[in-house]
Amino acid sequence: MKVTPDNVKEFILEGLQCEHIQVEGDGRHFEAVIVSQAFEGKGMLQQHKLVYQVLGDKMEKIHALSMKTLTPTQWANR
Amino acid sequence: MELDEKQIALDHIKQTVTENPIVLYMKGTPQFPQCGFSGRAAQVLKACGVTKYVAVNVLEDAGAWNYLKFYADFPTFPQLYIKGELIGGSDIMLAMYEQGELQKLIAEATAQ
Repeated sequence: MKVTPDNVKEFILEGLQCEHIQVEGDGRHFEAVIVSQAFEGKGMLQQHKLVYQVLGDKMEKIHALSMKTLTPTQWANR
Repeated sequence: MELDEKQIALDHIKQTVTENPIVLYMKGTPQFPQCGFSGRAAQVLKACGVTKYVAVNVLEDAGAWNYLKFYADFPTFPQLYIKGELIGGSDIMLAMYEQGELQKLIAEATAQ
């Protein structure tokens, strides 16, 4: 079954509380903007790892995910 | 058996990333990338002025293909390593390049 951007959004929200999340994609390539308090105090690598951890095995269904991770403060000041 | 294969692959990855200052694990080659993100990663390195680095084509390296995700707990390709440390994938590379951070890391790594 083809994964939709909404599926990806749900997968992420299942394991990560987000202030804002936006996912676009064509079923093979996805782009996500993720804003979460959980990113506070973490470097970009740790933030991306956190999202991958939340997605777990589902990453195999998601061919390619490009993401922008932001803290609520960064999001407010964008 | 499977454990041995994994351990051998992880040892080989460790050796590769510690013996070379800049290593990019990617799908395809910098000249002929086989995935958009890998192509972007190679372009970012080029934009940073990096002329010499080790590019590992994971499509031709079964050990890296199967086990790189366990090495630094990062499940996708491409992956950039500088002085043995995972920097990130193409999103992180591009963001760090735009902030001027990647150029700094690369200059430090290649100065020695």
